[in-house]
Amino acid sequence: MTALATPPTRPAAPAVATRPVTFGRVLAAEWLKVRTVRSTVWTLAVTVLAMVGISGLFAWASTTMSDEQAASAGGTDLPALLSAGVNLGQLAVAVLGVLVVTSEYSTGMVRSTFAAVPRRLPVLVAKALVLTGVVVVATVVAMLLSYLVSLPFHDELGVTVDLADAEQLRRLVGLPLYLAGVALLGLAFGALLRHTAGAMTAVIGLLLVVETVFSIVPLRFFELVGPFLPSTAGARVMYGEDTLAMIDGMRDTVSLTPWQGYGVMIAWVVVLGGVAAVLLRRRDA
Amino acid sequence: MIEARGLTKRYGAKTAVDGMSFTVQPGKVTGFLGPNGAGKSTTMRMVVGLDRPTAGTVAVNGRPYAQHRAPLREVGALLDAKAVHTGRSAYNHLRVMAATHGISRSRVDEVIEMTGLGPVARKRVGGFSLGMGQRLGIASALLGDPHTLILDEPVNGLDPEGVLWVRNLVRYLAGQGRTVFLSSHLMSEMALTADHIIVVGRGRVLADAPVQDVVARASGTAVRVRSPQAAALEELLRRQGATVTSVEHGLLEVTGSTAPAIGDAAASAAIALHELTPVQSSLEDAYLALTADEVEYHSAVAGPTTPSDAPARATAPTGAVR
Repeated sequence: MTALATPPTRPAAPAVATRPVTFGRVLAAEWLKVRTVRSTVWTLAVTVLAMVGISGLFAWASTTMSDEQAASAGGTDLPALLSAGVNLGQLAVAVLGVLVVTSEYSTGMVRSTFAAVPRRLPVLVAKALVLTGVVVVATVVAMLLSYLVSLPFHDELGVTVDLADAEQLRRLVGLPLYLAGVALLGLAFGALLRHTAGAMTAVIGLLLVVETVFSIVPLRFFELVGPFLPSTAGARVMYGEDTLAMIDGMRDTVSLTPWQGYGVMIAWVVVLGGVAAVLLRRRDA
Repeated sequence: MIEARGLTKRYGAKTAVDGMSFTVQPGKVTGFLGPNGAGKSTTMRMVVGLDRPTAGTVAVNGRPYAQHRAPLREVGALLDAKAVHTGRSAYNHLRVMAATHGISRSRVDEVIEMTGLGPVARKRVGGFSLGMGQRLGIASALLGDPHTLILDEPVNGLDPEGVLWVRNLVRYLAGQGRTVFLSSHLMSEMALTADHIIVVGRGRVLADAPVQDVVARASGTAVRVRSPQAAALEELLRRQGATVTSVEHGLLEVTGSTAPAIGDAAASAAIALHELTPVQSSLEDAYLALTADEVEYHSAVAGPTTPSDAPARATAPTGAVR
């Protein structure tokens, strides 16, 4: 056996340079992960396409309405026009957030990941940062394309761009922030439940079913708690004062400011993510 | 160097690993041998911190795995060939692993070449055969040029050429002074590859010794005797205190005696012998004896045991240690 000591394929290379695991390196690895899997790229592309398509359709449809109809639908309002596809977009980014974590568990990749980064927590934080980055960039791209697609209709609709207007600026900044919040909610559920189907059901059920029920069923408990549910609270950052007043007029409980609402959403992310982080370190991979 | 002390893992009421203590020394290939469900994989996962021990500790190169600043430099592990995202190419998987430790792309290319993954490196892992998956797992394990290698069933799914390659590779790595810890349920492979062996059954260490010692201790040397008067010889040897098993008509396997003693006894009784062959038991025999009933054989590891498993011994010990 000693005669076989040298496998012919091993080159006489110098010692391999390895460096300590730092947060920056974990972040670089997570960024590489997102770029090298088709599902991520596809999900983001679908998000952008859906949002741009719906914005374009909405702008065109608004030109066919009377001025009053168009104004009440939001067709004459730039932030409303650009965020027309947010309901579809939020589903896509929630799915992306879930998959960023659960695809590692379903494929077994998580064992390689945690063998390389046994402290584990930096992986979750890096995933959250990368996810926030790609969702914000994709949303901004979607907004720019939506702007270009709807541009031919702006004059007819009387749409104006005024970034000096604090409310318009807040609502334009709020859209990517809201979608990032939804994606992070998906990531937190993914990290908690570790199963794709379970986490998707949880986050989409919360966004589409639970929050809707809380906002339309006139029970006192729902009216008291509803405003603090993540999407209901977080979406306020995208709404104009008129819309906010209309929503608050339907119930006599709390009235959060747009940024307080977004803060509530982020608090949900932090609490769920915190529980996920504790479990991440305790559970077997 | 891997040091486990009282390592225990329970899943609810089931105890997968039951107070294992062992040390895996550098410069040797240490085999980790046991039947399915003996706790081998669980133990290996605990070494690299993927599973939390219920009790006990395990240190790699002096400290718990998670406390190393560059863990892939300390330990390269192949625990599960499918610990890879199926939608990513082999090359990108290795690049992701490399990125966490600032390992260069040239090293990624190097391990791809070493493991013969070149032609499929850019293809998605989901389409890989078991053998290619194993090669990728081994490439990942080698990436950080680690001092310690932990390979769980590395030859599983490999073709004969791949098996030979793994055998040469682990012996080469051990020859460089690295610690190589290799699990298998293929005893023949262990016999050819390992220097030292840790036999486990039902979560406990049954034997921890050089391969030759395990073979020698676990079952005594047997003698194969062929005679036309086998029945008479059997009767004679029994009376002398030997254990005799009739393998087939006219062929006996005798333990508890020696070839000269059997020959003398036969001559004095005027029994003709057509064959008288000392047979060293194989690692396979030793393994079966150790794991057949680990409770009964647990304390018997230190001394010769009586082989009671005649059918197993009658099977040809292919690849046995001779």
